[in-house]
Amino acid sequence: MADDKTTTDPSLIERWLTEQQQWQRTFLTYMDSMVKNDDFLVHLGNALRGSLLAGKAYPTQPPPSASAPETPSDDRLDQILFALRRLEGEVHDLKLTLDELKGERKQVPKKTRPPKPREPQ
Amino acid sequence: MNDAGPEPERDQERELEALLELSRRGRAKLERLHEVLTTPGHYGTGATPAAVVYRENKLKLLRLLDETGQPRDGRPPVLFVPAPVSRYFIIDLLPGRSFAGYVAAAGFDVYIADFGTPGREDRFADLEYYVEGLVRRCVRTICALTRNEAINVVGYCLGGTLSLLYSALHPETVRRLVLLTTSVDGDVEGGIPWVAHRMGLAGEDYDNPRLVPAAEVKSWFEMLAPGSNSTLGRVSDLWDRLDDAPDRLREVRTMASWVDDVVAAPGRLLAELYRKLGPGANGLMKRTVTVGAQRVDFAEIAMPVLSVSAEKDTIAPAAGVDAVRSIVPHAEILRLPGGHVGIVAGRSAAALWKRTVEFLGGGVSPGET
Repeated sequence: MADDKTTTDPSLIERWLTEQQQWQRTFLTYMDSMVKNDDFLVHLGNALRGSLLAGKAYPTQPPPSASAPETPSDDRLDQILFALRRLEGEVHDLKLTLDELKGERKQVPKKTRPPKPREPQ
Repeated sequence: MNDAGPEPERDQERELEALLELSRRGRAKLERLHEVLTTPGHYGTGATPAAVVYRENKLKLLRLLDETGQPRDGRPPVLFVPAPVSRYFIIDLLPGRSFAGYVAAAGFDVYIADFGTPGREDRFADLEYYVEGLVRRCVRTICALTRNEAINVVGYCLGGTLSLLYSALHPETVRRLVLLTTSVDGDVEGGIPWVAHRMGLAGEDYDNPRLVPAAEVKSWFEMLAPGSNSTLGRVSDLWDRLDDAPDRLREVRTMASWVDDVVAAPGRLLAELYRKLGPGANGLMKRTVTVGAQRVDFAEIAMPVLSVSAEKDTIAPAAGVDAVRSIVPHAEILRLPGGHVGIVAGRSAAALWKRTVEFLGGGVSPGET
């Protein structure tokens, strides 16, 4: 927002009044964005923490009460889930190996195919 | 007598003028901040068009595409391995300011391993899972896609550690290796493990690991950057920055969206790294490091290696990075002015990008088609 310009030099008091009006406009612009744009509140919250991080809230430690203690059954479930993730990778390894073998098979006959016996003339 | 009036009144007027100027400047900063916060920009994703060519758990292997949406298959493939504790897009930050994009524009077929954000079950992921699992399968997938037996690997920070270990275990699949700000000597002062060691912290629990929250990982990085670990310090820095032009502020915001967007980390991986490579153990320098049951032999690394350190790096101190020459004597050592992030994505990053492209383009090694 540019400051209003007048042809004659305004007095100090007039300039202060203009400045007050500009502050009101700035304040209203912020209020407007806060009401209309949910992301703006997140971004403003980040800025108040000194960060221009976009798209998500600045990482903060959750309060100790927020993290529920893990039960032994949760732990076992997580271990099973992670073991499945490992298996997922190993299956991909097998698939890659199979593809390699297929590729080799396709190549081998070409290389080692014996020449056709000549027809007796 | 002066016509302008008595001295006390003039003093008061001068003070009011100064206050008015202060008010204007403060308001201008807030207006600039509003503009930056409400203008769309390039935040939180890679800058170069890419296709996902492989998925596993949270990992996505991205293949960069050219302007027509096609993969480049001219020069040999290059795999970028970023640190799994941060987001991948630091190496593909902004259009016109992307390390991976620069390498791709030089004609290389570029891939990036996006490790994603670990879930709670991933706290059990260890070094073997990353090196022999994710990184190895990324390389295998690229080799299968491009029909190459060996590819180029560029590892950044902890991603460099994974790349170094992988290259020692599977040297026949790595054509050339670039290590960016990859700490090798765990006894060199500085860096997160060293600070933790000096504070007498035991590190993470290997047997009962937790998913280390992002905020905690962030707090470790903040410990290494004086002034960034207090809200007051950060707000003060931001307030000073708001004098910059909106375009510059948008660039700052893109970078902040990487710096402040750390991800949670698998506790078991951190525990293993601290135990094996941290101060005291120093398993890379002492050549005692193992991945799973395999002993890593750095003598296997015969491919050309470029190691790059940053003079002002507080995360991976340059001396600890340059120490790679002790375990890989033929490695080319390059030290650049700047910090850990600046040399990769800052305004002076062009020096690194240019040297990397020259290095990757050099010579043809066995296994390359």
